[in-house]
Amino acid sequence: MSTQALQHSSSQQLASFVRLNEGIKGVVLIAFQINIMALNAILLAHRAGEVALGFGVISKELRTLSVELTALMQALSSDAYQAVNLISDLLRRERRQRLLEATRGQLAAPLPALDTILAERLQVFQNRALQVREVRLRLLDRLEEARKLCQFGTAISRSAKIEAAYGREYGRALAEVSQDFDQKIQAILPSIETLCAGMQRI
Amino acid sequence: MKSATTIYQEGSHRWVVIARDQAKPGFVIDTNEYLISRDGDNLLTDPGGSEIFPAVFAALATVVDPMSISRLFASHQDPDIISSLGLWLDCNPQIRCHVSRLWDSFIPHFGGDDHSLQAIPDEGQHIPLGLGQLEAIPAHYLHSSGNFHLYDPDARILFSGDVGAALLPDDHNELFVRDFDQHIRHAEGFHRRWMGSNEAKLDWCERASRLKIDMMCPQHGAIFQGDDVMRFINWFAELPVGLSTFRHRRHS
Ligand SMILES: [Fe+2]
Ligand SMILES: [Fe+2]
Repeated sequence: MSTQALQHSSSQQLASFVRLNEGIKGVVLIAFQINIMALNAILLAHRAGEVALGFGVISKELRTLSVELTALMQALSSDAYQAVNLISDLLRRERRQRLLEATRGQLAAPLPALDTILAERLQVFQNRALQVREVRLRLLDRLEEARKLCQFGTAISRSAKIEAAYGREYGRALAEVSQDFDQKIQAILPSIETLCAGMQRI
Repeated sequence: MKSATTIYQEGSHRWVVIARDQAKPGFVIDTNEYLISRDGDNLLTDPGGSEIFPAVFAALATVVDPMSISRLFASHQDPDIISSLGLWLDCNPQIRCHVSRLWDSFIPHFGGDDHSLQAIPDEGQHIPLGLGQLEAIPAHYLHSSGNFHLYDPDARILFSGDVGAALLPDDHNELFVRDFDQHIRHAEGFHRRWMGSNEAKLDWCERASRLKIDMMCPQHGAIFQGDDVMRFINWFAELPVGLSTFRHRRHS
Protein backbone atom coordinates (compact mmCIF):
# COMPACT_ATOMS: atom_id res chain seq x y z
CA MET A 1 0.00 0.00 0.00
CA SER A 2 1.33 3.46 -0.82
CA THR A 3 2.01 5.82 2.08
CA GLN A 4 -0.76 8.06 0.87
CA ALA A 5 -3.26 5.20 0.84
CA LEU A 6 -2.08 4.23 4.32
CA GLN A 7 -2.52 7.79 5.47
CA HIS A 8 -6.04 7.78 4.12
CA SER A 9 -6.94 4.54 5.84
CA SER A 10 -5.31 5.62 9.12
CA SER A 11 -7.28 8.83 9.27
CA GLN A 12 -10.41 6.80 8.55
CA GLN A 13 -9.52 4.42 11.36
CA LEU A 14 -8.88 7.34 13.69
CA ALA A 15 -12.30 8.77 12.90
CA SER A 16 -14.01 5.41 13.43
CA PHE A 17 -12.37 4.88 16.82
CA VAL A 18 -13.45 8.34 17.88
CA ARG A 19 -16.99 7.51 16.72
CA LEU A 20 -16.80 4.22 18.59
CA ASN A 21 -16.11 6.09 21.79
CA GLU A 22 -19.19 8.23 21.23
CA GLY A 23 -21.30 5.11 20.64
CA ILE A 24 -19.95 3.54 23.84
CA LYS A 25 -21.16 6.53 25.84
CA GLY A 26 -24.69 5.88 24.58
CA VAL A 27 -24.58 2.22 25.61
CA VAL A 28 -23.17 3.07 29.04
CA LEU A 29 -26.04 5.49 29.61
CA ILE A 30 -28.65 2.84 28.79
CA ALA A 31 -26.84 0.26 30.93
CA PHE A 32 -27.01 2.72 33.80
CA GLN A 33 -30.77 3.13 33.26
CA ILE A 34 -31.24 -0.65 33.24
CA ASN A 35 -29.34 -0.87 36.49
CA ILE A 36 -31.61 1.65 38.24
CA MET A 37 -34.67 0.04 36.71
CA ALA A 38 -33.57 -3.41 37.87
CA LEU A 39 -32.96 -2.08 41.38
CA ASN A 40 -36.51 -0.71 41.50
CA ALA A 41 -37.82 -3.97 40.09
CA ILE A 42 -36.04 -5.94 42.83
CA LEU A 43 -37.70 -3.72 45.46
CA LEU A 44 -41.06 -4.12 43.77
CA ALA A 45 -40.67 -7.88 43.66
CA HIS A 46 -39.77 -7.84 47.33
CA ARG A 47 -43.02 -6.00 48.12
CA ALA A 48 -45.05 -8.36 45.98
CA GLY A 49 -43.64 -11.27 47.95
CA GLU A 50 -44.20 -14.85 46.89
CA VAL A 51 -46.06 -14.06 43.65
CA ALA A 52 -43.00 -12.24 42.29
CA LEU A 53 -40.19 -14.51 43.40
CA GLY A 54 -39.29 -15.44 39.83
CA PHE A 55 -39.52 -11.83 38.77
CA GLY A 56 -37.11 -10.85 41.53
CA VAL A 57 -34.56 -13.42 40.34
CA ILE A 58 -34.82 -12.15 36.78
CA SER A 59 -34.40 -8.54 37.90
CA LYS A 60 -31.20 -9.47 39.72
CA GLU A 61 -29.97 -11.14 36.55
CA LEU A 62 -30.68 -7.96 34.62
CA ARG A 63 -28.88 -5.90 37.19
CA THR A 64 -25.82 -8.13 36.93
CA LEU A 65 -26.09 -7.86 33.18
CA SER A 66 -26.07 -4.07 33.29
CA VAL A 67 -22.97 -4.10 35.51
CA GLU A 68 -21.20 -6.51 33.17
CA LEU A 69 -22.19 -4.45 30.18
CA THR A 70 -20.83 -1.29 31.80
CA ALA A 71 -17.53 -3.00 32.60
CA LEU A 72 -17.33 -4.27 29.05
CA MET A 73 -17.95 -0.81 27.69
CA GLN A 74 -15.25 0.61 29.94
CA ALA A 75 -12.79 -1.93 28.59
CA LEU A 76 -13.90 -1.07 25.06
CA SER A 77 -13.40 2.59 25.79
CA SER A 78 -9.86 2.07 27.03
CA ASP A 79 -9.12 -0.08 23.97
CA ALA A 80 -10.45 2.69 21.76
CA TYR A 81 -8.25 5.19 23.61
CA GLN A 82 -5.22 3.00 23.06
CA ALA A 83 -6.13 2.65 19.40
CA VAL A 84 -6.43 6.41 18.99
CA ASN A 85 -2.96 6.84 20.49
CA LEU A 86 -1.46 4.17 18.26
CA ILE A 87 -3.08 5.58 15.16
CA SER A 88 -2.00 9.13 15.98
CA ASP A 89 1.55 7.82 16.20
CA LEU A 90 1.00 5.97 12.95
CA LEU A 91 -0.19 9.15 11.24
CA ARG A 92 2.88 11.05 12.47
CA ARG A 93 5.10 8.29 11.17
CA GLU A 94 3.29 8.18 7.87
CA ARG A 95 3.93 11.88 7.32
CA ARG A 96 7.61 11.49 8.10
CA GLN A 97 7.83 8.39 5.97
CA ARG A 98 6.27 10.28 3.08
CA LEU A 99 8.79 13.12 3.46
CA LEU A 100 11.74 10.75 3.73
CA GLU A 101 10.55 8.90 0.64
CA ALA A 102 10.23 12.22 -1.17
CA THR A 103 13.79 12.97 -0.06
CA ARG A 104 15.04 9.73 -1.55
CA GLY A 105 13.14 10.56 -4.74
CA GLN A 106 14.89 13.91 -5.06
CA LEU A 107 18.43 12.67 -4.54
CA ALA A 108 20.62 12.80 -7.63
CA ALA A 109 22.59 9.77 -6.48
CA PRO A 110 21.42 6.92 -4.22
CA LEU A 111 22.28 7.23 -0.53
CA PRO A 112 22.44 3.75 1.05
CA ALA A 113 22.32 5.19 4.59
CA LEU A 114 18.95 6.75 3.82
CA ASP A 115 17.69 3.49 2.31
CA THR A 116 18.61 1.69 5.53
CA ILE A 117 16.77 4.28 7.61
CA LEU A 118 13.71 4.04 5.42
CA ALA A 119 13.70 0.25 5.67
CA GLU A 120 14.04 0.37 9.48
CA ARG A 121 11.30 2.91 9.79
CA LEU A 122 9.04 0.87 7.57
CA GLN A 123 9.58 -2.09 9.90
CA VAL A 124 8.57 -0.05 12.97
CA PHE A 125 5.66 1.33 11.03
CA GLN A 126 4.40 -2.10 10.12
CA ASN A 127 4.74 -3.25 13.72
CA ARG A 128 2.58 -0.34 14.81
CA ALA A 129 0.02 -1.14 12.15
CA LEU A 130 -0.02 -4.70 13.47
CA GLN A 131 -0.61 -3.45 17.00
CA VAL A 132 -3.55 -1.40 15.78
CA ARG A 133 -4.92 -4.52 14.13
CA GLU A 134 -4.61 -6.44 17.40
CA VAL A 135 -6.47 -3.76 19.33
CA ARG A 136 -9.15 -3.74 16.67
CA LEU A 137 -9.61 -7.51 16.90
CA ARG A 138 -9.80 -7.30 20.67
CA LEU A 139 -12.44 -4.60 20.30
CA LEU A 140 -14.44 -6.77 17.97
CA ASP A 141 -14.27 -9.67 20.46
CA ARG A 142 -15.56 -7.46 23.22
CA LEU A 143 -18.31 -6.11 21.00
CA GLU A 144 -19.32 -9.67 20.21
CA GLU A 145 -19.42 -10.39 23.93
CA ALA A 146 -21.59 -7.33 24.44
CA ARG A 147 -23.95 -8.50 21.74
CA LYS A 148 -24.31 -11.90 23.36
CA LEU A 149 -24.98 -10.23 26.67
CA CYS A 150 -27.75 -8.19 25.08
CA GLN A 151 -29.25 -11.26 23.46
CA PHE A 152 -29.29 -12.91 26.86
CA GLY A 153 -30.89 -9.72 28.18
CA THR A 154 -33.59 -9.93 25.54
CA ALA A 155 -34.34 -13.49 26.52
CA ILE A 156 -34.60 -12.76 30.21
CA SER A 157 -36.66 -9.64 29.73
CA ARG A 158 -39.11 -11.84 27.83
CA SER A 159 -39.12 -14.23 30.80
CA ALA A 160 -39.83 -11.23 33.00
CA LYS A 161 -42.97 -10.58 30.95
CA ILE A 162 -44.12 -14.12 31.53
CA GLU A 163 -43.34 -13.92 35.23
CA ALA A 164 -45.32 -10.69 35.43
CA ALA A 165 -48.42 -12.57 34.37
CA TYR A 166 -48.30 -14.47 37.68
CA GLY A 167 -48.08 -11.27 39.66
CA ARG A 168 -51.78 -11.07 40.63
CA GLU A 169 -52.47 -7.60 42.05
CA TYR A 170 -48.86 -6.62 41.15
CA GLY A 171 -49.33 -7.99 37.66
CA ARG A 172 -49.76 -4.62 35.96
CA ALA A 173 -46.83 -2.96 37.67
CA LEU A 174 -44.59 -5.91 36.92
CA ALA A 175 -45.77 -6.03 33.32
CA GLU A 176 -44.86 -2.37 32.90
CA VAL A 177 -41.39 -2.91 34.32
CA SER A 178 -40.77 -5.92 32.10
CA GLN A 179 -41.91 -3.85 29.11
CA ASP A 180 -39.37 -1.14 30.03
CA PHE A 181 -36.64 -3.75 30.36
CA ASP A 182 -37.39 -5.06 26.93
CA GLN A 183 -37.37 -1.58 25.40
CA LYS A 184 -34.04 -0.68 26.95
CA ILE A 185 -32.39 -3.89 25.83
CA GLN A 186 -33.80 -3.41 22.35
CA ALA A 187 -32.37 0.09 22.33
CA ILE A 188 -28.87 -1.18 23.09
CA LEU A 189 -28.74 -3.90 20.47
CA PRO A 190 -28.75 -1.61 17.40
CA SER A 191 -26.00 0.54 19.01
CA ILE A 192 -23.87 -2.54 19.49
CA GLU A 193 -24.57 -3.65 15.92
CA THR A 194 -23.56 -0.23 14.65
CA LEU A 195 -20.36 -0.34 16.69
CA CYS A 196 -19.56 -3.79 15.30
CA ALA A 197 -20.27 -2.71 11.73
CA GLY A 198 -18.15 0.42 12.16
CA MET A 199 -15.22 -1.66 13.36
CA GLN A 200 -15.51 -4.30 10.66
CA ARG A 201 -15.56 -1.81 7.83
CA ILE A 202 -12.09 -0.45 8.52
CA MET B 1 14.59 21.97 -6.47
CA LYS B 2 16.88 23.98 -4.27
CA SER B 3 20.48 24.43 -5.26
CA ALA B 4 23.68 24.61 -3.27
CA THR B 5 26.11 27.47 -3.90
CA THR B 6 29.44 27.95 -2.15
CA ILE B 7 29.74 31.55 -0.99
CA TYR B 8 33.01 31.26 0.95
CA GLN B 9 35.89 28.83 0.87
CA GLU B 10 39.27 28.90 2.56
CA GLY B 11 40.88 25.46 2.71
CA SER B 12 38.42 23.12 4.41
CA HIS B 13 36.52 26.09 5.79
CA ARG B 14 33.42 26.68 3.71
CA TRP B 15 29.97 28.31 3.67
CA VAL B 16 27.36 26.95 1.29
CA VAL B 17 23.93 28.47 0.81
CA ILE B 18 20.93 26.31 -0.05
CA ALA B 19 18.50 28.70 -1.66
CA ARG B 20 15.68 29.39 -4.05
CA ASP B 21 13.33 26.53 -4.25
CA GLN B 22 11.37 27.13 -7.44
CA ALA B 23 9.40 23.94 -6.93
CA LYS B 24 8.35 24.55 -3.34
CA PRO B 25 4.61 24.75 -2.65
CA GLY B 26 3.47 28.38 -2.94
CA PHE B 27 1.96 28.38 0.52
CA VAL B 28 5.26 27.92 2.36
CA ILE B 29 7.77 30.74 2.70
CA ASP B 30 11.06 30.34 0.85
CA THR B 31 14.05 29.96 3.13
CA ASN B 32 17.84 29.95 2.94
CA GLU B 33 19.82 27.30 4.75
CA TYR B 34 23.56 27.66 5.28
CA LEU B 35 25.99 24.81 5.64
CA ILE B 36 29.16 25.76 7.50
CA SER B 37 31.97 23.23 7.23
CA ARG B 38 35.40 23.21 8.77
CA ASP B 39 37.90 20.38 9.21
CA GLY B 40 35.22 17.79 8.40
CA ASP B 41 32.79 19.22 10.94
CA ASN B 42 29.43 20.27 9.47
CA LEU B 43 26.78 22.55 10.91
CA LEU B 44 23.54 23.63 9.26
CA THR B 45 21.79 26.90 10.17
CA ASP B 46 18.00 27.16 10.38
CA PRO B 47 17.44 23.81 8.64
CA GLY B 48 13.89 24.75 7.71
CA GLY B 49 10.40 23.37 7.81
CA SER B 50 9.53 19.71 7.37
CA GLU B 51 7.76 20.25 4.04
CA ILE B 52 10.96 21.52 2.43
CA PHE B 53 13.19 18.91 4.08
CA PRO B 54 13.42 16.74 0.94
CA ALA B 55 14.57 19.71 -1.17
CA VAL B 56 17.11 20.88 1.44
CA PHE B 57 18.47 17.39 2.01
CA ALA B 58 18.79 16.65 -1.70
CA ALA B 59 20.56 19.97 -2.38
CA LEU B 60 22.94 19.35 0.53
CA ALA B 61 23.70 15.89 -0.83
CA THR B 62 25.27 17.50 -3.89
CA VAL B 63 28.00 19.12 -1.74
CA VAL B 64 28.33 17.00 1.40
CA ASP B 65 27.28 13.65 2.86
CA PRO B 66 24.11 14.87 4.58
CA MET B 67 24.50 12.15 7.21
CA SER B 68 27.75 13.81 8.29
CA ILE B 69 25.94 16.94 9.45
CA SER B 70 26.31 16.60 13.18
CA ARG B 71 24.92 19.91 14.34
CA LEU B 72 22.06 22.24 13.63
CA PHE B 73 21.74 25.85 14.71
CA ALA B 74 18.23 27.25 15.13
CA SER B 75 18.12 31.04 15.38
CA HIS B 76 14.73 30.70 17.06
CA GLN B 77 11.70 28.43 17.40
CA ASP B 78 9.61 29.17 14.31
CA PRO B 79 8.25 26.31 12.18
CA ASP B 80 10.03 27.61 9.06
CA ILE B 81 13.27 27.36 11.07
CA ILE B 82 13.21 24.04 12.81
CA SER B 83 10.07 21.94 12.24
CA SER B 84 12.25 19.54 10.21
CA LEU B 85 14.15 18.56 13.37
CA GLY B 86 12.27 15.26 13.70
CA LEU B 87 13.29 14.28 10.18
CA TRP B 88 16.92 15.21 10.80
CA LEU B 89 16.83 13.05 13.90
CA ASP B 90 15.31 10.19 11.90
CA CYS B 91 18.33 10.39 9.62
CA ASN B 92 20.86 10.92 12.37
CA PRO B 93 19.76 10.27 15.95
CA GLN B 94 23.08 11.72 17.16
CA ILE B 95 22.47 15.16 15.67
CA ARG B 96 22.51 18.11 18.09
CA CYS B 97 20.61 21.34 17.73
CA HIS B 98 21.79 24.59 19.33
CA VAL B 99 18.94 26.90 20.25
CA SER B 100 18.08 29.58 22.82
CA ARG B 101 17.42 28.19 26.29
CA LEU B 102 13.94 29.68 25.97
CA TRP B 103 12.92 27.15 23.38
CA ASP B 104 14.62 23.90 24.30
CA SER B 105 11.42 22.60 25.87
CA PHE B 106 9.13 23.93 23.13
CA ILE B 107 10.91 22.57 20.09
CA PRO B 108 10.44 18.92 21.17
CA HIS B 109 6.89 19.38 19.85
CA PHE B 110 8.62 19.20 16.45
CA GLY B 111 10.94 16.40 17.55
CA GLY B 112 14.01 15.94 19.72
CA ASP B 113 14.45 15.95 23.49
CA ASP B 114 16.74 17.36 26.18
CA HIS B 115 19.52 15.24 24.74
CA SER B 116 19.30 16.52 21.17
CA LEU B 117 18.64 20.16 22.07
CA GLN B 118 21.55 22.19 23.39
CA ALA B 119 20.44 25.32 25.16
CA ILE B 120 22.30 28.55 24.40
CA PRO B 121 22.38 30.92 27.40
CA ASP B 122 20.93 34.42 26.93
CA GLU B 123 24.36 36.03 26.69
CA GLY B 124 25.36 33.76 23.79
CA GLN B 125 28.29 31.38 23.58
CA HIS B 126 31.09 30.02 21.42
CA ILE B 127 30.20 27.02 19.33
CA PRO B 128 33.25 25.04 18.22
CA LEU B 129 33.43 23.98 14.59
CA GLY B 130 36.41 21.90 13.52
CA LEU B 131 39.51 23.64 14.84
CA GLY B 132 37.81 27.02 14.81
CA GLN B 133 34.74 28.40 16.45
CA LEU B 134 31.55 30.25 15.75
CA GLU B 135 29.83 32.76 18.02
CA ALA B 136 26.15 32.65 18.90
CA ILE B 137 25.34 36.37 19.09
CA PRO B 138 22.25 37.51 21.03
CA ALA B 139 19.54 39.08 18.90
CA HIS B 140 16.66 38.73 21.32
CA TYR B 141 13.29 40.22 20.35
CA LEU B 142 14.44 40.38 16.71
CA HIS B 143 11.92 38.95 16.20
CA SER B 144 11.77 36.10 18.69
CA SER B 145 12.28 36.72 22.42
CA GLY B 146 14.97 34.02 22.44
CA ASN B 147 16.90 34.69 19.26
CA PHE B 148 20.50 34.23 18.13
CA HIS B 149 22.63 35.01 15.11
CA LEU B 150 25.73 33.04 14.23
CA TYR B 151 28.99 34.83 13.53
CA ASP B 152 32.00 33.27 11.90
CA PRO B 153 34.92 35.58 12.77
CA ASP B 154 37.38 33.88 10.42
CA ALA B 155 35.08 33.94 7.38
CA ARG B 156 33.67 37.30 8.52
CA ILE B 157 30.17 36.10 7.80
CA LEU B 158 27.13 36.77 9.97
CA PHE B 159 24.13 34.49 9.71
CA SER B 160 21.38 36.89 10.76
CA GLY B 161 18.20 34.78 10.82
CA ASP B 162 15.13 36.89 10.17
CA VAL B 163 17.09 40.16 10.45
CA GLY B 164 17.85 41.31 6.92
CA ALA B 165 15.14 39.02 5.56
CA ALA B 166 13.32 40.10 2.43
CA LEU B 167 10.16 38.63 0.96
CA LEU B 168 11.14 38.75 -2.69
CA PRO B 169 8.75 38.44 -5.62
CA ASP B 170 9.01 35.17 -7.56
CA ASP B 171 11.06 36.66 -10.41
CA HIS B 172 13.72 38.05 -8.01
CA ASN B 173 16.03 35.14 -7.50
CA GLU B 174 19.39 36.77 -7.16
CA LEU B 175 21.57 35.28 -4.42
CA PHE B 176 23.23 38.59 -3.50
CA VAL B 177 21.69 42.01 -3.13
CA ARG B 178 22.45 43.90 -6.34
CA ASP B 179 20.69 47.19 -5.81
CA PHE B 180 20.32 47.99 -2.11
CA ASP B 181 17.61 50.64 -2.51
CA GLN B 182 15.54 48.42 -4.76
CA HIS B 183 16.02 45.39 -2.56
CA ILE B 184 15.30 46.98 0.79
CA ARG B 185 11.75 47.80 -0.28
CA HIS B 186 10.99 44.09 -0.04
CA ALA B 187 12.44 44.01 3.47
CA GLU B 188 10.74 47.03 4.96
CA GLY B 189 7.26 45.69 5.70
CA PHE B 190 8.71 42.52 7.15
CA HIS B 191 11.02 44.35 9.55
CA ARG B 192 8.40 46.86 10.65
CA ARG B 193 5.91 44.17 11.56
CA TRP B 194 8.09 41.26 12.65
CA MET B 195 10.69 43.10 14.71
CA GLY B 196 9.22 43.78 18.10
CA SER B 197 11.46 46.28 19.83
CA ASN B 198 13.25 49.48 18.85
CA GLU B 199 15.44 49.14 21.92
CA ALA B 200 16.52 45.63 20.94
CA LYS B 201 17.04 46.76 17.37
CA LEU B 202 19.35 49.67 18.32
CA ASP B 203 21.28 47.47 20.71
CA TRP B 204 21.79 44.91 17.93
CA CYS B 205 22.79 47.59 15.37
CA GLU B 206 25.35 48.96 17.74
CA ARG B 207 26.93 45.53 18.35
CA ALA B 208 26.69 44.46 14.71
CA SER B 209 28.41 47.63 13.53
CA ARG B 210 31.45 46.69 15.62
CA LEU B 211 31.79 43.24 14.01
CA LYS B 212 33.83 42.74 10.89
CA ILE B 213 31.25 41.49 8.43
CA ASP B 214 31.90 40.80 4.76
CA MET B 215 28.61 39.00 4.24
CA MET B 216 25.35 39.15 6.13
CA CYS B 217 23.23 36.09 5.40
CA PRO B 218 19.52 36.20 6.24
CA GLN B 219 17.13 33.27 6.38
CA HIS B 220 14.88 34.73 3.67
CA GLY B 221 15.87 36.72 0.60
CA ALA B 222 19.28 37.79 -0.69
CA ILE B 223 22.69 38.06 0.97
CA PHE B 224 24.18 41.49 1.79
CA GLN B 225 27.87 41.89 1.06
CA GLY B 226 30.54 44.56 1.29
CA ASP B 227 29.21 48.04 1.97
CA ASP B 228 25.62 46.85 1.80
CA VAL B 229 26.10 45.28 5.23
CA MET B 230 26.70 48.63 6.91
CA ARG B 231 24.05 50.16 4.70
CA PHE B 232 21.60 47.63 6.07
CA ILE B 233 22.61 48.24 9.70
CA ASN B 234 22.12 52.01 9.26
CA TRP B 235 18.82 51.52 7.46
CA PHE B 236 17.58 49.19 10.21
CA ALA B 237 18.70 51.59 12.95
CA GLU B 238 16.52 54.29 11.40
CA LEU B 239 13.48 52.11 10.74
CA PRO B 240 10.64 52.41 13.23
CA VAL B 241 9.53 48.92 14.24
CA GLY B 242 7.12 47.23 16.60
CA LEU B 243 3.82 48.17 18.11
CA SER B 244 4.00 51.91 17.42
CA THR B 245 4.10 51.30 13.67
CA PHE B 246 0.71 49.73 13.18
CA ARG B 247 -2.81 49.90 14.50
CA HIS B 248 -3.61 46.66 16.23
CA ARG B 249 -6.94 47.66 17.75
CA ARG B 250 -10.15 47.49 15.92
CA HIS B 251 -12.03 50.76 16.15
CA SER B 252 -15.68 50.47 16.89
FE1 LIG C 1 10.85 33.76 12.46
FE1 LIG D 1 11.90 33.22 9.21
